[in-house]
Amino acid sequence: MSEAQRLSGSTWDVEHLLSDALRPIEPPERLSGRLEDTLSAVTQAAAEELSDWAEELSESELRALRDPRNWVRPVFAVGAGGAAAGALVLLEARRRGRQQAKGGLRSLAGRVRP
Amino acid sequence: MSTAKENVEPASLDPDAKAELDRAFEDLYRAHLRDVYSYAYYRVGNPHDAEDLTEQAFLQAYRHFDRARRESDGRPLRPWLIRIAHNLASNYYRDRSRRPQTSLENADPIEARHGTEAIAEGREQLRQVMANLDNLADDRRDALIMRFALGMDNREIARALGRTDGATKVLIHRAIKQLQEEMSDE
Repeated sequence: MSEAQRLSGSTWDVEHLLSDALRPIEPPERLSGRLEDTLSAVTQAAAEELSDWAEELSESELRALRDPRNWVRPVFAVGAGGAAAGALVLLEARRRGRQQAKGGLRSLAGRVRP
Repeated sequence: MSTAKENVEPASLDPDAKAELDRAFEDLYRAHLRDVYSYAYYRVGNPHDAEDLTEQAFLQAYRHFDRARRESDGRPLRPWLIRIAHNLASNYYRDRSRRPQTSLENADPIEARHGTEAIAEGREQLRQVMANLDNLADDRRDALIMRFALGMDNREIARALGRTDGATKVLIHRAIKQLQEEMSDE
């Protein structure tokens, strides 16, 4: 396309310019290697974790896990664990709050004294 | 950008199904690595962050690949993949309060023209169009990147942006019109 065609009067052929400006970009070769390494690492880690976990369970525990009647217990345990963790966080936050209040007053007092 | 290797879908399938899934993901990855990288590059404007964004996008895609494949009903997964990159890029700007700094290093001037003057002129036009592109609203700019850098059609862009086909057609039309007007004013 000639310059005259590109600019018909004051109208730009923007679509043609965009096709020229926004060309697909080849990713650097190192990126393929990096991605493949990362994906291999995560799939391997996940597989190992699953296999370790399965090995730790006895046959009766595995049977119990497959029984839906037992599913409520882990769900409850997760819920209770979450509540306990929440309570601990709350206690810690209160403890820190008290400490900060003390520190805040102490520092305020320090600034007031000559 | 840090690499989050955690939270990747565990090997919860039987080994044969897992191997098949991994092969399918490898095909997807090989087919669309250039698309995701190109999109990321034009969004963030530098190769380093584009690489990080591409890696994050594929890690997240891997995590949800099984479900995406089941729900796609055989439709191409490229829009889904680009949507992941699009969301990550949006978070990237939200977190860092940055704007892209698109470089023209990889945008060659018009090949058909010869001579240094013509090349310089070509580069100036490309610089101008890129600068104006950068000033567009995010959704307009993203739609144009998908259309021109990735060659996606309206339907694919609509799926990637979570819009209807009609709304996407209007979005692209308005984006091109706005660019045209801004360049004519300069």
